[in-house]
Amino acid sequence: MRQRRIRWVSAFVALGLVAAACGGDDDDSAEGDDEAPAEGGDFEAQSFDESAQCGTDAYAGNLASIEAVDAQTVKFTLCNPDVAFPSKVAFSALGIFPEEQLEDAASGAIIDSPIGTGPYKLEAWEKGSQIVLTANEDYWGDAPGIPTVVFRWSEESAQRLVELQSGDVDGIDNVGTEDFATVSNDSNLQLIEREPLNVFYLGFNVDKPPFDNEQLRQAIGYAIDKDRIIDNFYPEGSIAADQFLPPGIPQYQDGAETFTYDPDRARELLTEAGYPDGVDLGVLSYRATVRGYLPQPPQVASDIRDQLAQVGITVALDEQEEGAFIDNANTGALSFYMLGWGADFPDATNFWDFHFGVGASPQFGTGFDDMHEVLTEAGSTVDEDERADLYAQANELLLQHAQAIPIAYGGSAVAFDAAVEGAHASPLSNERFAVMSEEGADQLVWMQNGEPSGLYCADETDGEALRVCEQINESLLGYEVGGTEVEPALAEEWESNDDLTEWTFTLRDGVTFHDGSTFDANDVVASYRTQWDAADPRHVGREGLFTYFEALFGGFLNPPPAPAG
Amino acid sequence: MLRFIARRLVSSIPVLFGILLATFVIGRLIPGDPCQAALQERATPEACAEFNSEYGFDDPVFVQFGSYVGDVFRGDLGNSLQERQSVTDLLIDRLPVTLQLSAAALFIAVIVGVPLGVLAGSRHNSKTDVATIVGANLGVSIPVFVLGLILQYVFALQLDDTPLGLPASGQLTAGVIPDPFYEVWGIGHNSLFEFISNIDLLNAVLIWRWDIFVDALQHLILPAVALATIPMAIIARMTRSSLVDVLGLDYVRTARAKGLRERVVITRHALRNSLLPVVTVIGLSLGTLVGGAILTETIFNLTGVGKTLFDAITGRDYFVVQGFTLVVAIGFVVVNLITDIVYTFLDPKVRVD
Amino acid sequence: MAIEELPLAVEQAAEAPPPQRRQRGLWRDAFRQTFRKRSAIVGAAILGVLLFMALFAPLLAPYGEREVLIDSEGLQPRTEPCIHLSVNWIPDVPVLSTLESFLESNGFSCSPNEPQHLMGLDGNARDVFSRVLYGARVSLGASVAAVSFAVAVGAAIGLISGFVGGRVDNGAMRVMDVLLAFPALLLAIAIVTARGPGLFNAVLAVSVVTIPVYARVIRSRVLSVREQDFVSADRALGVSRPRILSHRVLPNSLTPLVVVATLGIATAVLELAALSFVGLGGDPDTAEWGRMLALERNQIFTSPHLVFYPGLMIMLNVLAFNLIGDGLRDALDPRLNR
Repeated sequence: MRQRRIRWVSAFVALGLVAAACGGDDDDSAEGDDEAPAEGGDFEAQSFDESAQCGTDAYAGNLASIEAVDAQTVKFTLCNPDVAFPSKVAFSALGIFPEEQLEDAASGAIIDSPIGTGPYKLEAWEKGSQIVLTANEDYWGDAPGIPTVVFRWSEESAQRLVELQSGDVDGIDNVGTEDFATVSNDSNLQLIEREPLNVFYLGFNVDKPPFDNEQLRQAIGYAIDKDRIIDNFYPEGSIAADQFLPPGIPQYQDGAETFTYDPDRARELLTEAGYPDGVDLGVLSYRATVRGYLPQPPQVASDIRDQLAQVGITVALDEQEEGAFIDNANTGALSFYMLGWGADFPDATNFWDFHFGVGASPQFGTGFDDMHEVLTEAGSTVDEDERADLYAQANELLLQHAQAIPIAYGGSAVAFDAAVEGAHASPLSNERFAVMSEEGADQLVWMQNGEPSGLYCADETDGEALRVCEQINESLLGYEVGGTEVEPALAEEWESNDDLTEWTFTLRDGVTFHDGSTFDANDVVASYRTQWDAADPRHVGREGLFTYFEALFGGFLNPPPAPAG
Repeated sequence: MLRFIARRLVSSIPVLFGILLATFVIGRLIPGDPCQAALQERATPEACAEFNSEYGFDDPVFVQFGSYVGDVFRGDLGNSLQERQSVTDLLIDRLPVTLQLSAAALFIAVIVGVPLGVLAGSRHNSKTDVATIVGANLGVSIPVFVLGLILQYVFALQLDDTPLGLPASGQLTAGVIPDPFYEVWGIGHNSLFEFISNIDLLNAVLIWRWDIFVDALQHLILPAVALATIPMAIIARMTRSSLVDVLGLDYVRTARAKGLRERVVITRHALRNSLLPVVTVIGLSLGTLVGGAILTETIFNLTGVGKTLFDAITGRDYFVVQGFTLVVAIGFVVVNLITDIVYTFLDPKVRVD
Repeated sequence: MAIEELPLAVEQAAEAPPPQRRQRGLWRDAFRQTFRKRSAIVGAAILGVLLFMALFAPLLAPYGEREVLIDSEGLQPRTEPCIHLSVNWIPDVPVLSTLESFLESNGFSCSPNEPQHLMGLDGNARDVFSRVLYGARVSLGASVAAVSFAVAVGAAIGLISGFVGGRVDNGAMRVMDVLLAFPALLLAIAIVTARGPGLFNAVLAVSVVTIPVYARVIRSRVLSVREQDFVSADRALGVSRPRILSHRVLPNSLTPLVVVATLGIATAVLELAALSFVGLGGDPDTAEWGRMLALERNQIFTSPHLVFYPGLMIMLNVLAFNLIGDGLRDALDPRLNR
């Protein structure tokens, strides 16, 4: 989402196929597991079969059933094939919790003190100050390199840097644009860059004059010097945007046609639009909040205003308060504004559908039928080449309708004390502290932008929260350190049928939760069921939205009525 | 004397009522729909109808005010829409931080400001006086946020490895979680104890952990100094002008005529009376300190009342805005009442009345 | 003037002026008295420079207020200052060479090939010196406007309240007490948030917050003047109340007001800067010192010139009014032996 941090799950296609191959045999077995269940008797297998609901009006999701075949085996059945199922399963919102804690979800304890299987467990959360994690002695994998990890936060980049430089803190997130050089030149620090998985764009509400004029919008597209913006206001690693998808998304089109910087063409289009002598367009709205796609909002706004002035377009800057701005965007109240989008999961649908598909956000006004058609088709096609074609068409349509003008893909970076080994930046913003170590240090302090709102991964979307709860809770699969490849986590092996509609996971044996209870297939079923069925009494979280589950699997059982507006 | 106190108490009542009214209005002044702000994506018409009736937003304004007042008297300040805590709990967490910071800042301001003011006042119009005035005025003139950043730069970075090095954050060293004193002592747990245990310096003393005390102190110095500069300058200015006034009075002239040395004149005769206005200043400084604390807390990463209030105002967390401003304003009135009473005790003129 | 000094100001205002002095004589005396103090002279000098900057900004500024230099000069944002004044003639003596390198690192002796920017460029590659000059207009204008409005309203309240007395007085002063109970900055933030960011709303917020100060001071003065002989005489003669107010009470109330207002401008500058700092100042393109500082506060360590110069200007602005106000107060305080 635009106000969440980048969540880069993995390339659905390539990695999904790789994952399917890695999982084991590709034969048609529904129950193909080689391992005998570790536990005997006493195991009451849970299972839920909702396949009757597939494709009905009441159910928009793709999950058909989930079954604990035995204590160490879980099988998922889908309504439709999903090549990327393993990548989704690895996502942090699908972390596994003990059944008992989920029963207690309504009490809210799970939000403040989640129990998981991860390398770290929650020691203390001093609201407003710090979160302290200590190593899980009974961890099934490699013991964490540093016994204690402390999370701190500050919104000021200079503050974070001062603390890093003075040694009070060992790692910081979001190094300020101007501070890249400082960190690189400091031999006591190491700078690690993250690739940009976001897009910054200028948006228009095409229902509001004068922005209902397509030529006017195109004129603005040609009036913007993207390179100037990147060079002057973005850190290294940032790229001028040539389409709505950033390069890390698999459906990104090489060599797409885009708005180039062409003031003459801009003036021509302006004249064609009916403004031969320039025009006053009112206000350009934005918020001062720093995001990966826009590290310096006021400066960029000023520069865009200056650039527009050079082709005769006058605009006044309207800096709005964050909450008000998002509300206005969500209700279509903004005419001309600066906004962006960070990937939730790395697929074109995450970028395209939310903004331009059927039922898209009202921020752009009335959508265009031709785009709706293309996007709907692209979202339900499985063949990647077909999809690529369709999205190329979408690119052309966006160039024509120009209700959004992509400007930049914003890079970012983290910085660590040079003595920290295993320091890395994750493109998904889920740095894994368990693989880090520092000689002679028994504590690692990490400073990010903000405090988590809650630690129940299933109901969080903000990267600040997800990064913390990922250290505590694990999913069936995981992502490699600093990368996006899927690897085994709580499941040792997985396999699917040819159709890619049935997925069977073999769970690790002898894993315990932080409270000592044993991990088995029922915990997996409970964890998924809690999110899947909106009518389940356990379907309670901090906000109760379980946004990622809905985004990854299409919908809930017994969904709540859709919100108005 | 007692009559005076009683009179002051009585005249405070309408002020307190006015504060209740004002905080209620402030809460409602914040633009935007409370239901939208609280529920955001889940703000369906049905959910909002429920929300509004639960919180009474659909009642007429008078009724809302009435129930607000009733709630306040019962100690219920509502729940934060952003944090998952009641406003009272938030207060217990955050107010001690600001109190500690303000007290430290006030302490520094008095310790430095009064002697400076006396120095300048006793050498009225001399070079020392001018230097002190300009210095004090400079202190008042530096924006707190600039001073804070500069202090961080000098003491946290440049002087980092020296004995003068101080940390950049106002919080305790990462990973340090002091045990609350009531747990260490094994006594029960209630809100007051929790409140006290959140005052790091005090708690450290109560659990007899001098290492934590020193840690807290080290982290407190820079923000306290940054916050103290304005009250310090004001106190210096007040002390000086008050001393100058007193030195012009007849009884001082008499003392001088008697042949007493200037220093004795000042310390024995003039000082006590000239310090009286300073007492009132200390009480009134509370407002500046809480206001200035917003900026200091932001720069030194402390979660106190100022920062919470600012976040609540911009985040439209109505109940937090109402509750916190109410507490701050009432606190201010109470402190002023106390300083008035103290002043009356000390001021011989009033006592004679 | 800070709220802490309100009681003292009120007390000073309560002292009646020597009635035998004629108005003009009092003022001329006060003026002379004030500027006999060295500190007040310094303050006046600074203010003079600031006024000069504000008035002649378009003439003095080498570049436009919003002129972006990325294309025209090919410079990057946040370029360091460049001053075409050589300091190479400074001899190589230890202390002086430190001075020389300090000056050089702040822009002196830069190559004549580089365009001159006395205070460097800001985050949008605009000349900081020019923006500082234009900023004087906003700072001086906004703070004076805020105080003027507060004085007008506050004095009106104080005059009427003090003169009429009784329940009107009680009621008005309770309302003032309520306003004073809230920390100024918080109240200002609440007001601006309610009305929306922008310079006008910030000025409004700052003035509303300080109205009680002026109301209290004037009221105190009015209470004491009311008891003076010449007022009783007027009453006995049957002069109407409004006339007494405007001809007797008001002129005699001006002296403490001037002092408090002058000091109040200093506080207003700081409050406005603080509001900008927390992001409620409005248009980032208008050159306003507080705003300039707020935009670059995270670059304080990498580009200190962006924080230093606007910060210095705010400081000088506040200092000037504080020094002058102090001087005026000393001069007009009837209790001081002259």
